[in-house]
Amino acid sequence: MTSEGGYLTTGVDAVVNWARSNSLMPMPLGLSCCAIEMMAFAGPKYDVARFGSEALRFSPRQADLMIVAGWVSYKMAHAIRRVWDQMADPKWCIAMGACASTGGMHRCYGVVQGVDNFLPVDVYIAGCPPRPEALLHALMDIQEKVRNQHSVADDTREKARTFPDRLVVPTPDLAGASGDRRFAAALTAEAAATEA
Amino acid sequence: MGESTVRQTLPFLYSPRQALAGEAERANPHAKATSFQPEVVAALEERFAAGVQAISLYAGEHSVYIDRSLIVDACRFLRDEQGFDFVSDMATVDRFTDEGRFEVVYNLVSIAGRKRLRLKVRVEESDPTVSSITGVYPAAEWHEREAWDMMGIHFAGHPDLRRVFMPEDFEYHPARKEFPTLGIPGSLPLPPLVNDGALQLDPFPRAHGELPKD
Repeated sequence: MTSEGGYLTTGVDAVVNWARSNSLMPMPLGLSCCAIEMMAFAGPKYDVARFGSEALRFSPRQADLMIVAGWVSYKMAHAIRRVWDQMADPKWCIAMGACASTGGMHRCYGVVQGVDNFLPVDVYIAGCPPRPEALLHALMDIQEKVRNQHSVADDTREKARTFPDRLVVPTPDLAGASGDRRFAAALTAEAAATEA
Repeated sequence: MGESTVRQTLPFLYSPRQALAGEAERANPHAKATSFQPEVVAALEERFAAGVQAISLYAGEHSVYIDRSLIVDACRFLRDEQGFDFVSDMATVDRFTDEGRFEVVYNLVSIAGRKRLRLKVRVEESDPTVSSITGVYPAAEWHEREAWDMMGIHFAGHPDLRRVFMPEDFEYHPARKEFPTLGIPGSLPLPPLVNDGALQLDPFPRAHGELPKD
């Protein structure tokens, strides 16, 4: 199939994307207070069933949307990564709240300063904790992303999914190959400031 | 209600000056009678004599400084003869001084007697070792593991002195004051950034059959 696509694949994509986007199965990773808002998001008042995502799956094999709700310790990061690796492609990830997005107020040794240090995050939500509407909005953003996906005609999305091209910023790697890259950038800036 | 409401302002006396006031502190309606235990303190002094290094009374609460070698005996004495049947909490303090740098704090409770007592043990930085009180209070086991994990206090005789919070191969004790708040770069591994990389750290080594290192 050429890059111009064809009638058959675009037609199939339309059907597949419609089905996928309206039945995203979230894998809830409730790690702290954001989880309470996530429960409200799944509950009757905010009612994520309107978007077809009411079936929160506690098995990664049955989920395709990971919601990281809360701060992630370095120890937990490995467990989360295991869960993420067990989820079947295609899969998406929401970093819910300030802590999951950036470390938030947990500016300390034990907390990963943003889950994008080890996960490919699709949507970040601001807030501490974000309201359920914000999570609904993030879900709608994910749906939008799914609807614009093309399986054959355009594979740039799959290319963008590979971590190194997308996430690694060109900074000296002070933290080591496995270290916290955002932390390394901060250290580099600090070192430059003291030299100047 | 309204104008007939009597507004009564209770004296609030928790300040270091008032802590020195002795009996005036006892008149404070907010002072907790459970923590004021002169009889227990006197019994401890009688039993251990010089082993009781100091006694402090602050905000109506007694704290007893015990010699490091006598902490197990003191706990056993308090449990068997004074009715302190529960260690409600343990804490550690990094005083960051040259002598007696670390302080281990034991909060004991007598549930039936409605009594509370705080024991403190000071240890040196060169030898931060205290005898484990798990033989007297089994509930202290995880408290002591936390104290080991965070502050690096070694508890001799502890049945299973592993870290509680940090990964088991972590080399530092983060609650110590010389530890930087933002951590030491590279000391805690993250999962690899590439999709198909091997997973490094097992978050649940004990569950997967790995024994602690020492």
